[in-house]
Amino acid sequence: MINLMRIILSIHLSTKKNISRLLIVICILVSFLSGSDLNKSVASPKYTIYFYNQEININNFVFFKTEFDKYLSDYGPYRFQPFSDKATFEEFITKKNDGVYLLSSWHYDDLAEKFPIESVLVGTSKGKSTQKRVLTTNNITNIESLKGKKVASVGNEGFTKSVLIGMLGEGKKDIIDSLKILNVPKDIDALIAVGFGVANSALTTESSLKKLAAINPQLYKTLKPLATGKQTLLPIVAAPKQADDDIGMLLTVIEKMGQVPGGKDKLKMLGIDGWTKLSKTEMISLEKR
Amino acid sequence: MNKVYKNTEMSLRECISNNRRVYCSVMTGVFILVILSLLPRPLLAMKNGKIVVFNSDTSVERYSIAHTVFKSKIGNLVEEIDLGNEKLSKKKIKKKIRKIDPDVIYCIGSKAYQLVHKVAKNKNVIFSSTMKWQLLPIGKNTYGVSNEIPQSTNLMMYRYFFPDIKKIGVLYSKSYNKKWLKIAKADADKIGVEIIGKAIRKPEEVVSALKELLPKVDALWLTIDPIVLHNKESVKNVFMQSEAARKPVFAYSNVFASYGAVLILSADISTIGKQAAVLALDILENQEITEKIQNPVGSSITLNMKKVKEYGITLNEDALDSVNEIIR
Repeated sequence: MINLMRIILSIHLSTKKNISRLLIVICILVSFLSGSDLNKSVASPKYTIYFYNQEININNFVFFKTEFDKYLSDYGPYRFQPFSDKATFEEFITKKNDGVYLLSSWHYDDLAEKFPIESVLVGTSKGKSTQKRVLTTNNITNIESLKGKKVASVGNEGFTKSVLIGMLGEGKKDIIDSLKILNVPKDIDALIAVGFGVANSALTTESSLKKLAAINPQLYKTLKPLATGKQTLLPIVAAPKQADDDIGMLLTVIEKMGQVPGGKDKLKMLGIDGWTKLSKTEMISLEKR
Repeated sequence: MNKVYKNTEMSLRECISNNRRVYCSVMTGVFILVILSLLPRPLLAMKNGKIVVFNSDTSVERYSIAHTVFKSKIGNLVEEIDLGNEKLSKKKIKKKIRKIDPDVIYCIGSKAYQLVHKVAKNKNVIFSSTMKWQLLPIGKNTYGVSNEIPQSTNLMMYRYFFPDIKKIGVLYSKSYNKKWLKIAKADADKIGVEIIGKAIRKPEEVVSALKELLPKVDALWLTIDPIVLHNKESVKNVFMQSEAARKPVFAYSNVFASYGAVLILSADISTIGKQAAVLALDILENQEITEKIQNPVGSSITLNMKKVKEYGITLNEDALDSVNEIIR
């Protein structure tokens, strides 16, 4: 191949005219490449927001990634990488130290024991950084009657059952183990599942239940809470303990998302509307769990 | 049966007194087996039942998704038949079913269901991924998951996303959607929205009907109707008229995204597969099934933000947490 190119070049360069023509072609190519999008000052991403949250059922990763990538690229060499699987997410972050992690406060607790990370920001929704989970039903009168029944939930089976254990206590483990979990895309779908008799109960956030009260009061009136969990923190942004200034800049970009229209609507897709720095009390409560 | 128990008991007593360990184990095992074999069959059948899947065509993405999710929840399917690939006659299907003798048959798509229903009326059959299930023949052993989000859920979401929209128009044919519209109107009343329906008899009436309807409403709700959406031309006319009147169109499928539908609310296919799996397991476990034909509970929402801005519609930004895709 190289020899062939040498032959072609030697034929072309045999006359002055051809040399000047070749130079013109080279100049055109160089100017094209330097003016093209390929060579724009948007460098390839160097820092990543790694995302995994079993509390949110995302079934369109391409869309999420595209939306966040577009937003972040306006602020620097940043990108967004969602994961659908906990093990893959954790495996990935052990090898990479080039970003921050967006995850549930439940998961942070577990991850902080394995990796040198620290919580930095917590999500907010209408000024609050916490949420409560509620187990709602329309035809079950007590927890014991829940045995063997169906629970609709956005979280996967493992996550849903661990939340229920936290809510109902270890003493109810046999009831919780007997439950059939119907995994649905959204909290509102879980509540609708109960309304339609497809599930016996729904595990959702308290704020989703309040939303239902506003948009479908009739359905809301048929539902009643069976159990309520404690206040837990909304999604967390964590960073490596030995974070450099560049990671610090990325954290600033994330923190300001809620103050910019284009950023706010991205956060809304995650069920929050802003970020705030964790208070000392909140950090302690995270470590204590 | 009492004689069997008595004999077994006596042998056990003998064994204990003579300290014959091996004999004890054998007799205990026999005793347990005798008890189990005398139990009623359904209790034994828990989760061990035979399930077969008939897929109308696995090359169709939504059929394939439902199939894959169903399989992941059930685990041990006895057989999976792709009717898109295998050209099976009614006779061959009947023979297959007779040979396998499944406890549950899951049919994905109308083609699969209609074929199986004809030859296996006595079998428990679950359908999903069919349009307008109400037009299907339903037997006493038929179960299913509808493909259509019910009117009440649609209306709830329209109101959630666009709280200022109070009047929604529906173009429909009486032959297909008279009952559907009646339910929609009743559901709309409950949440403070008005449905204004305009009936047509022939596809040629679409344009003139829309000219009459659109000025009276805030938005147009597209429903599955072969007279209204007779062909591509009819679809184009609906969207062109709505665009000219600057009225948003709410649709039921992402095929309308490229035409400019503002909000698309469709059933989440993955959840349909999960619901079908839960139904199958409930049948095998003899669980009480209150809703034999279930509404799909998972939703997939596409929002055309470009059109929202173009038409100047007030959007409830809190609703963005329910969106699966935004078109900008």
